[in-house]
Amino acid sequence: MRVHAVAHPPVGVPRTGVTGTRAIRFIVDRFLLLPIGAAVALMWANTAAVSYFTFAHALSFFVNQVAMAFFLALIAQEVLEAVMPGGALHNWRRWSMPLVAAAGGIAGAAAVYLAFVQLKYELVLMQAWPVACAIDIAAGYYVLKMILPRSGALPFLLVLAIATDAFGLIVVGLRPAAVGLHAGGVALFLGAVGLAALLRHWRVRAFWPYLVLCGVLSWWGLYVAGIHPALALMPIVPFLPHEPRKLDLFSDPPDDDAVHHYEHEWNGLVQVVLFLFGLVNAGVLLSGYDTGTWAVLAAALVGRPLGILAAIALALALGLHLPRRIGWRQLTVIALATSSGFTFALFFATSVVPMGPVLAQIKIGALSTVAGALLAVGTAWLLGVGSARTHRNP
Amino acid sequence: MRTLLAILVAAVVTGSLEASRQAEGPAGAPPSLRFAVIGDNGTGERPQYEVGEQMASARGRFPFEFVIMLGDNMYGRQRPADFVDKFEQPYAPLLKAGVLFYAALGNHDDPTNRFYAGFNMGGERYYTFVRKHVRFFVFDTNMMDPAQLRWIGQTLARARESWKICYFHHPLYSSGGRHGSDIELRVALEPLMLEHGVHVAFSGHEHVYERTHPQKGITYFVEGSSGKLRRGDITRTDLTAASFDEDRTFMLVGITGDELSFQTISRAGRVVDSGVIHRRPPT
Repeated sequence: MRVHAVAHPPVGVPRTGVTGTRAIRFIVDRFLLLPIGAAVALMWANTAAVSYFTFAHALSFFVNQVAMAFFLALIAQEVLEAVMPGGALHNWRRWSMPLVAAAGGIAGAAAVYLAFVQLKYELVLMQAWPVACAIDIAAGYYVLKMILPRSGALPFLLVLAIATDAFGLIVVGLRPAAVGLHAGGVALFLGAVGLAALLRHWRVRAFWPYLVLCGVLSWWGLYVAGIHPALALMPIVPFLPHEPRKLDLFSDPPDDDAVHHYEHEWNGLVQVVLFLFGLVNAGVLLSGYDTGTWAVLAAALVGRPLGILAAIALALALGLHLPRRIGWRQLTVIALATSSGFTFALFFATSVVPMGPVLAQIKIGALSTVAGALLAVGTAWLLGVGSARTHRNP
Repeated sequence: MRTLLAILVAAVVTGSLEASRQAEGPAGAPPSLRFAVIGDNGTGERPQYEVGEQMASARGRFPFEFVIMLGDNMYGRQRPADFVDKFEQPYAPLLKAGVLFYAALGNHDDPTNRFYAGFNMGGERYYTFVRKHVRFFVFDTNMMDPAQLRWIGQTLARARESWKICYFHHPLYSSGGRHGSDIELRVALEPLMLEHGVHVAFSGHEHVYERTHPQKGITYFVEGSSGKLRRGDITRTDLTAASFDEDRTFMLVGITGDELSFQTISRAGRVVDSGVIHRRPPT
């Protein structure tokens, strides 16, 4: 699989438009609007806290429960197309090892988080363990692309990260189901999925009917049922027409069917959503750090990398194979490149922990995991891996 | 000189509380209510026991009926034996005398402690109870979910008692150096408390004692040093009406009619703050 750089303007930015400056392209291409939103939120919260929290509380439902559905739909689409026949991950041999690594990473992160919380006797933090498992796909992708731009490491990391976050989404989304689902909501949701199947059967290629009819119905159904409604579009996406694609989440696919049209229409919107997501959720008073902060950091920077490496060692012993030109030094860097939880960690945090000091300390931990990117770059330099090797030994 | 001043203050406030007790006689006047306040107490260490002894001693002259606990009622392990070491033993004389404890949950409390009979939480994270003409509202500020916020608004709105007192673990206003004010919680809770006429709020979390100047009409107490102590952690700010960060403390509170009298007493039995808060007329 070849992972290529973005060769043309990102979707949502006109090819020759006034807004197509290099700076904006750079920001949009790399999903930097979210960290920019987060940085603004952090500064705002720590300088004018009352106005920030008033603003954030007013917008949080819309952003977290409604708008994030578009972001998750895009992620669902990418994954679906990659696993379709002809897609990069259709052959199970391509994703078996990253999946094993993901399972190890989840187990390692969760074990370290729960052990830390138990050791400090703050059991109120236990329920936030899914936050420790989150991987920021974009952050991992760009860190690794910088270090190992042309190797099997990138798809390996992407599958690992997607599988991990998919697991987290299932846990987070279905958590309320543990206390009982509202039957009416479930019926609405199933009706939405059935309607999407019918639209597909009737060969409807425009995405609007899927969005307006099925998406709205699905959102309302999940909301009533007690399941996280931001997941609403994910079950609808498989019914949109698709074509197999390479697993390069951050490239611009050709505009040749309804799905890609939908992606073009929504990518700009998703960028705005991610900016708002950072703005609404990342604002925390830095004095709010506490046990949960250290637990999330320890889980992401230590637990997950160790879990990934241990699981891979076990899988190798059982006969699975690594991609070509990937050895233990590269694996160590890949494992550390998954440390950043950021976007998904914030999403999981706001999904499983209600507003309050517990959420604040968990969020600070989630934001701090960006340190994992530095750790990956530093380790690559120390181990002489990839482009770091070139810089170290010109 | 300092000791003499403390003795004078103690005498005045004790006299005030005594006057409150005598004042419950007149026909038509609401009866006096007395309670104690502790927070961040459950260490199981010697200072907690000494505070417990002071509380038992204080009850001899100020017979409080119950104790409100502001969270972090238990630190460290929370096995059955720990409930003995960190709660039942330190307050044994009070428990034997039938004094009830009503707890709020702190960040160090196992959420399942709400089922422990000694904390009288009825298995709820947040709840309300009435004593005479005072209604208490107990919040779980660890996690302020929408359901709890709705409950707070509705329960405050329904309350018809003349005094409304809220208590919870994390302070909305604090000059403590470690945590300070929880402004996010304040943005969510303060409008409800103001709208529905709350008069006084107690919280812990900061391991010091502080009383604020009334904030939009509400006086906030931080009593987080009944077991833990962060010595020297208070930096007095515009918020601070009184503070103490030199030793462990607990509070005695008496409410008669429209007056709430309070004393804050150190582990050594010294009164470190006292005063009277007058109930605001309903708006």
